[in-house]
This record gives sequence, structure tokens and C-alpha cells, in this order.
Amino acid sequence: MKGNGVRQSMAWIHGWLGLLAGWILFAMFVTGTASYFRPEITRWMQPEYRPHAVPQAEAARTTVAWLQKNAPHDEQWTIYLPTERTLSTRAFTRARPNPDPKAPRAPRRPEVRLDPATGAPIEARDTRGGEFFYRFHFQLQLPHPWGRWLAGLCAMFMLGAILSGVITHKRIFADFFTLRWSKGQRSWLDAHNVSAVLALPYHAMITYTGLITLVVMYMPWPILANYPKPTAFAESLYGDTAGQKASGQPGRLADMGRFVEAASAEWEGARVSRIIVGNPDDASSTVTLLRTGEDRLNARGASITYAGVSGARLAASPAPGPAVETAGVMLGLHLGWFAGPLLRWVCFLLGLTGCAMVATGLVLWTVKRQRPGAQPFFGMSLVERLNIGAVACLPAGIAAFLLANRLLPPMLVGRADLEVSAMFWAWFGLAALSLLRPVRRAWIETLAISALLFAAVPIADLAMVGAFPTDGLFVAFDATMFLLAATLGFAAWRTAVRPARAARPRRRAPVTVAEVREAVDVA
Amino acid sequence: MASAQLGGQGWSMAGRSLTALIGGYAAAAGLATLLARLLPVERVEATAWGMILSFLFYAAFGLWAFHEPRLTRVAAVIWGAAVVAGGAALLLGVRP
Repeated sequence: MKGNGVRQSMAWIHGWLGLLAGWILFAMFVTGTASYFRPEITRWMQPEYRPHAVPQAEAARTTVAWLQKNAPHDEQWTIYLPTERTLSTRAFTRARPNPDPKAPRAPRRPEVRLDPATGAPIEARDTRGGEFFYRFHFQLQLPHPWGRWLAGLCAMFMLGAILSGVITHKRIFADFFTLRWSKGQRSWLDAHNVSAVLALPYHAMITYTGLITLVVMYMPWPILANYPKPTAFAESLYGDTAGQKASGQPGRLADMGRFVEAASAEWEGARVSRIIVGNPDDASSTVTLLRTGEDRLNARGASITYAGVSGARLAASPAPGPAVETAGVMLGLHLGWFAGPLLRWVCFLLGLTGCAMVATGLVLWTVKRQRPGAQPFFGMSLVERLNIGAVACLPAGIAAFLLANRLLPPMLVGRADLEVSAMFWAWFGLAALSLLRPVRRAWIETLAISALLFAAVPIADLAMVGAFPTDGLFVAFDATMFLLAATLGFAAWRTAVRPARAARPRRRAPVTVAEVREAVDVA
Repeated sequence: MASAQLGGQGWSMAGRSLTALIGGYAAAAGLATLLARLLPVERVEATAWGMILSFLFYAAFGLWAFHEPRLTRVAAVIWGAAVVAGGAALLLGVRP
């Protein structure tokens, strides 16, 4: 660890940070990259849903009509209006807390997705859709709040690995252009450098902004220094939203479409992303509308609050200062909502370079430590096996998730959960089975199985949906599946044609000072 | 290279890792909080600056903990920064 210079110590810590968080980071990069297409994945996973686009004001009206029929006495409604990409309305409701303190808390109601034209729940196969990748990306399918803490810890390791990796790097410009195939360790190092250096600004940005998305949870202490009541911070960010107490007098909400039109007009035609209705059946109900973040870098849009019954404009969020604007832009950069189709594909490809960076770094850790003819030590075997389980088997799980969506009967009860189970059974099952095979064979076979499963996704789509897809979204999705299958197949083929490990000449453990220095530079 | 050096230094490495992970967080949180309390700008702005910069502090403390060879120095600086910054923030109390 403690070499002479900063480059040596940073090389050492880079290796350990990357290794310890690498397997989870790989899964976070993969699911995060998929999340750029969250609405599109959801639409692919509900092929029978044919939405009718309607103006936002109309969608707001139909949604409120449905909520007034089905959850009239709730404390709060949250409505996500349809966009050009989601094409459906999402609504969450929160029940009033039971006045009896001993009564159990009302369970949180699941999200409802509504057809914006009719206000009726969407009639399509039940699925988590792209939401699954999005949630897994920062919650890791662990109970709250442990998944978010673990994801934050791994992001922090990633930040440390990026900073130490940059310090380690002597030839950051030259390595931009260097990729030597079929040279053993040198190739893995080049691949790691190319994938990391090429997209370095992206990796640094996505890691830091990722930490910022949950900063209120990870680093709440600055709030305590400035606010006697921690909730006051959020209020000063968003303006005083929906903080009104219910009066107890019944009241009827004014036409929701008018609120949408009024807010949109105030924002010079910008769309409304979300509506929060407080105490919807009360005389003191409030309606807060949030501006979309899709047309600008700052994802934290402005908000306006109206009195629900009279329609009077009560408050608006203040114009953000430089720090709040910076935080909003960081959030926006992470979420990528601002990106149009072309830029979104660029983000997707940059995300894939992140996956490649983590994967090649993990492999490099083992390749660097292999000695010809030597029995792998325990730590080495452990890392090799976990690498296979993460890098080669996770793609199989994702393909299984998508395959299950097409193969399970559309009306099967509990199918959304079964899709998720299919993912984890395929992922961990394949990883467990791979333990039965020698390391090299295990790499080749798991990569090949993942490739085959991805190739099966568009075939299952054609077979089960029955018609050749004409919608561009379905064509693009199926084509992407074939490309992912080809990439995984190529990886399996490269592993197979590579000369076996024992046959390859290898350098001894470095002994001289010069060799130590060289080894460190290579790290 | 590192694994050979580490033989018999398990406890020292554990102490260093804990100092980086937990002490580094505490020091970063303390500094970010003090910054948020003292910055002469609006309180919402000062809070946001503290939060935005906190992870940079954390990363700097964490990496330096593995660069500085003397563990006592690492522990003194990082835990010291946590106690001093956190204590100062506590003594100052909530911004009036």
C-alpha cells in the first residue's frame, strides 16, 4: 500500500475499492443504463396497451374523476401526467392516518396506471416494466433503507476508485488511443483504460450526481445546522406545498384541467410533470403542480400551489440560487430526462462503457495475480467465481426477466412478481451451476448462455405477440436485444479462442525496484 | 505487491479502513455542516453547498487515509477533524 509516491498508494487503493464494490457496481451500471429507457421498456413489456394521446389537461381531468370515485377521502394524491414517452398516467394515493394511535398504519397503496383518455386502469399484462431496473439500480432489491445505503457506499467506492484511478494514470492521453488485442494482461489493462478514460467525464459525472440524488438521506447534517425543523428545507426548495391542514369542512375540487392550463401558461407553455393534491375532499384542499424537467438540465422544476376549491394561486417556488440550481442540474444530468432520442442513445452507450470499465477492471484484478502453473489461492478463486457470477450471469437474469414477460400467460395472477423471480433464479441459478465447471469453461458457457437468452427475447416477442413489430419502439428494442446477444456471443468466442492460461508465458513476481515501479504503472 | 506487505498488519489495516470509512464520513459530515452553518449566504443555499461538496470531502479523506503511511497521523487528522468540525457545528447550534 505505502509505496514511495502518491501514484503507488493510489494504484493500490484503486484496486481494492474497485474490487470490493465492483460486483454491485456492475449490476448498478447495467440496470442504470437500462433505466435510460425506463418508459420504453415498460411499453415493450405491455405490448397490448395501445394508448391514445390526449392533452395534459384532459388526462388530469380523467385521472381526478377516477380518484374521486376510488380514493375520495385520502390525505394526498400524487399524479404523474403522461409524457410523450410514458403515454399513461401514474397515480399514488396516501390514506389518512387512522386517528386511533393504536391502529396499525394503513399500508401504502401500490401505483395505479391509468389510460389518460378514459381514466380507467390500463388493461394489459401486469409487469414492473422498466420501473424494476430503475428501482434495482439504487435499492438493489434489498429492504428499505439498506439497499439505498449499500448503493450509496458502492457509489462512494466508485468515486474513490475514479479519483485514485486518474491519479494513478501517467499516460491518460496516450491510453485514449491504445488497445492491444490478444496480449494477455496488457489487453485487459488497455481495455480497462480505453473504457474508463474514453468516457471519464461521464463516469465521474454519473457517480457524483448519483450520490447527489439521495444526498438528503446520505448527508442530512447540513440541514440540521440551518433549520430547526428539517422538513423546512424541502419547503424552502419547493415552496410551501400541500402543507395545509384539513379544515374538516367538505369541499369540491375545481376543474383540474384549468389548473394544468394555468400553470402551463405561467411557465410559457412548458408541460406539467406532476400534480400533488392535498386533502382532496376538504374545503382547504391544495393543488400543487410541478414543472417538467424534460426541456432543461435542471430536473427539479418549479412549482405552483393553488387553493383546490377556489382556484386561487397561493404560492410558487422561489427562483433557485446558484447552489440549488447546481444540485438540480446534477440531478438532471443523472436522470437524463433532458436527453432527446439521439442523446439518450449516446447516454445508453456511455452507460455501457461504464459496464465495460467495471467488468474489465474486475477481470484485470485476477489476470494480474495469476502465476503460471500455480494453484490459484482462495481469494483468487473467490474473485474469479464472483466475476463470472456478476459479469456473465447477470445478463442471463435480465434476459430471463424479459423472456418471462413474453412467455408467462398475460392474465396470470402475480405474474409481475414471477418475472422478477425469473430474473433472480436465472442469475443466481446460472452462477451456482457455473461453480461445477472449470473457470475458463464457466466463462465461455455462461457468456454463451447469456447470449442465447438475449437472442431468444426478440424471437419470443415475435412468436408471442404474433405480428411483426411495426412500431419503431418494438423494432429498436428487438434489434438492441440481438446486438446485446452478439456482444455477449463475441465475448464468449474471444474467451474460447484465447490461449489457455497455463500455456501463456508470464512474468515472475516483480522483484527489483524497476520492476515494482513498472508493475505499479501497469496498475 | 500489497498482500505481501500486509502480513501481520491486519489490525493496522482494519483501523485504517475504519478510519477512512467511518472517520472519513464523520469528518466530511462535520466539515459540510460547519460550511453550511457559516457560509454567509441564504440558508437554503448554504445547506445545498454543504451537501454538494460533502462527498468530495469524504473522498479526499478516504483516499488520503490510504496514502499517508503513519496510521497515528491518519487517525489524529481524520478523527480530529470530525470532532473539531462536528463539535464546532454543535456549539454554534442552528443558524438563528
